[in-house]
Amino acid sequence: MKSLAFIATIITGALLIFATVDFPDWGDPNSPASLHVSPRYIEKTVKETGVPNMVTSVLADYRGYDTLFETTVIFTAGITAVMLIRRPRK
Amino acid sequence: MGTIEFIIGKYNYWVYIILMMVGFYAMIAKHNLVKKLIGMNIFQWAIILYYVSIGSKKGGATIPIIQNGHGEVTHAIEAAQYLNPLPHVLMLTAIVVGVSTTGVALALIIMIYRRFHTLEEDEIIDILRAPNK
Repeated sequence: MKSLAFIATIITGALLIFATVDFPDWGDPNSPASLHVSPRYIEKTVKETGVPNMVTSVLADYRGYDTLFETTVIFTAGITAVMLIRRPRK
Repeated sequence: MGTIEFIIGKYNYWVYIILMMVGFYAMIAKHNLVKKLIGMNIFQWAIILYYVSIGSKKGGATIPIIQNGHGEVTHAIEAAQYLNPLPHVLMLTAIVVGVSTTGVALALIIMIYRRFHTLEEDEIIDILRAPNK
């Protein structure tokens, strides 16, 4: 079984490495991730939100609801862990 | 494009793929449940590192905090001056989800240990298949 798992791992890794040939180079300023969507946030974040830290402005302002309901995720996980670990009273 | 430039341009992706495959192998080949969980965490972190590396820009770009950005900002802000902030933000969300799944999985592992008194997967299967229990 272990050799089968090893072969599956090697095949998956080889396919992923084969896919990186089409990727843009690391740190390329002209890669699609740097040219689309993100310049709009970088250029307008101070004008629209007044926060110099772009990560904060996107996390707490543009994606405020996402961050709000992230707390729901943590709350649900915590409640689940407590319900699982707690021993019921006899 | 020469071979050296090709390797320099792509080697960071290869590092993350190797890390991801270490986690993948641990997930599917190990029999201990805690080792499987650690493999899943390595897998998650490989993906997070990969996404953060997408945000990098060579050529003088700095961290995504606007310089002299307090008060009235009158100077021009160019996108090439700052790193891409969006992968950082999205991976913050992914870290939160990863912590939640790890916590719930550890709680489940504690419950499994309480019932079977072992964490080895094959021993648990033997106990479940035993005829008189």
